[in-house]
Amino acid sequence: MTVETLRLADRLGQCQETSADAYRQHLAEAAAAGWRFAGTHVSADRDQVRTLMVAPGGETRFHSAPINAGTAPSIVDLIPAATWDEREASELQGVCFSGHEPLRPMINHGPLAEWTVPVHGGDVHQVAVGPIHAGIIESGHFRFHLVGDRILHLDARLFYKHRGLERAAEGADLTAASAYIARACAACSVSNGLAYAHAWEQALGLVPSPELARTRTILLELERTWNLLNDLAAVCAGAGMAAGNHHFAALTERARRLNAALTGHRFLTGSVRVGGSDLIADLAAVRAAREEIETLRGAAARGWRAITFNSTFDDRMVSTGVITAEQARRMGTVGPAARAVGIAADARTTDARLAYEGFQPVVVERAAGDVKARVEQRALELWQSLDLLDRLLDRPLVSAEAEPGEGSGGLGGEIGVGIVESPRGATSCVVERASATDNLARVGRVRLRTASFANWPAVVAAATGDVLVDFPLINKSFELCYACVDR
Amino acid sequence: MFALLRDLRTLRRTVDLPAPGRGRSLAIRHVDAGSCNGCEHELTLTSSPYCDLARFGIGVVASPRHADVLLVTGAVTARMREPLLTAYAAMPEPRRVVALGDCALGCDMLGTPYDLVGPVDSLLPVDLRIPGCPPTPDEIAAALVEFLDAKPSRVSGGQPAA
Repeated sequence: MTVETLRLADRLGQCQETSADAYRQHLAEAAAAGWRFAGTHVSADRDQVRTLMVAPGGETRFHSAPINAGTAPSIVDLIPAATWDEREASELQGVCFSGHEPLRPMINHGPLAEWTVPVHGGDVHQVAVGPIHAGIIESGHFRFHLVGDRILHLDARLFYKHRGLERAAEGADLTAASAYIARACAACSVSNGLAYAHAWEQALGLVPSPELARTRTILLELERTWNLLNDLAAVCAGAGMAAGNHHFAALTERARRLNAALTGHRFLTGSVRVGGSDLIADLAAVRAAREEIETLRGAAARGWRAITFNSTFDDRMVSTGVITAEQARRMGTVGPAARAVGIAADARTTDARLAYEGFQPVVVERAAGDVKARVEQRALELWQSLDLLDRLLDRPLVSAEAEPGEGSGGLGGEIGVGIVESPRGATSCVVERASATDNLARVGRVRLRTASFANWPAVVAAATGDVLVDFPLINKSFELCYACVDR
Repeated sequence: MFALLRDLRTLRRTVDLPAPGRGRSLAIRHVDAGSCNGCEHELTLTSSPYCDLARFGIGVVASPRHADVLLVTGAVTARMREPLLTAYAAMPEPRRVVALGDCALGCDMLGTPYDLVGPVDSLLPVDLRIPGCPPTPDEIAAALVEFLDAKPSRVSGGQPAA
């Protein structure tokens, strides 16, 4: 296993752009060469914007541009996926992005005209939904622009739950700061925690031992398993199919009890730490977990057969909430939503820090990009996760530590990146150290760009052109978190 | 579909709760005032076949106007303050407030002072506190059933009792 240490001085240095034009040109070239956009953030010193790009082979590279007089060059015309990143940075760090017009507010909620796209016409009317929804749902506001029942345009206004977690983490040492990352989202606590741990370990020149990689992979797949079961329950609820909803809700409950039995927490919270793992499970515990995995597989398969051959359910899903492969690429859609349009990208394929040797992403045969494709994609990924767990839970879990990587010399760098395939797609975390010579390893800047953050624009695109009553189903077919977007 | 329904019939409720069958109910309106999503996920599972809160007459209603109880999760963020107060103002009286989870109770709230207002009881009178990070569906169900049992009906003949 070789994991390179990212040093600002050498690796990052070659991408240190001197001018806005060079920054834009090199990013355009990287995008054309198939590199994936994975986030734009403002540096710890607040004097640079940095854009993270990921090669198809998993290599990461930052492109940085100076912020002059509070203004940085925009890249949204080249990489539309950067839209929300630039809007966020403009409000949270006060950076103006020249060329990003109109730069609509996203976090601070002003008058309607400031944040909605103007929609004119005699028959257009608006429907306001949220921030408080009719069920047990996180807070967020949707402004539908309709003609009759058909959605002409949708503006999503999130960040009601913005807690300033990243800013609050600044100045804290890496252990204290991990609490802020863990609190970002319960449903993605392992994914977010691992992305954060990987970022620090890269910055510190640490490489996980094989046992540490195995424990973490098990945790990540346990998280994926309960999330996928929950997603299937949610999509049944979105279509008003109570039997399917209850069946998969019961399985979600069982999966969370399994999490608690193995790690002491139903959401696996607190089981990921930077630099190692303290999780211990003896042979009896691991065997019991494996047996429960088999029980879940059988029950999930029965449920899946029942909902698959239900024609009224099928009617709701086919050709509802479509996104095209071209749209998904432009918006930077990740995870099952992207794989459901045939984009076979999965961060697990290139993840050298976890135990995914030989992993191949699955893509649903009918990759139509509609609700049905996303639901079928999830079922395929559920079987895959259960297979992985069955393979990995073959021996007891022991405490394990990360070790100094080859050639890092234990010196460490100033910046680190972690990219993890969460249940909703690739999540990236960037950590910049407050000072590279600081023994405490304090956070200068941390940015968590979750798969939910990446995928919200796809929900908007999928809803456009459909009828309003299908929106809950379309929304559930993505099943994104609000908490790990708002942070 | 029949296979699914047959499967569901074989599931046994595993949560240790008092016997259902009381002559009253609780209509709950949930407001997420800034949670990490954990309380929502656990609250959702109180209606799973294992817990099945509906058999006690406890259910989530779509509008605060139909609700007896405002159930709030999360430390209240600056941006959720107004929606939370609006929902409370829309409720008919008598009304009760339940704070669910450690953040709502003010334990270990994380964030910046600029973005957080504070725990639920800094804004509303809290009648029931359910601690936990997050509390499990079993704990939530037990607390709500006990709350339902403990509170004598405050409405008689359509008027609040004196």
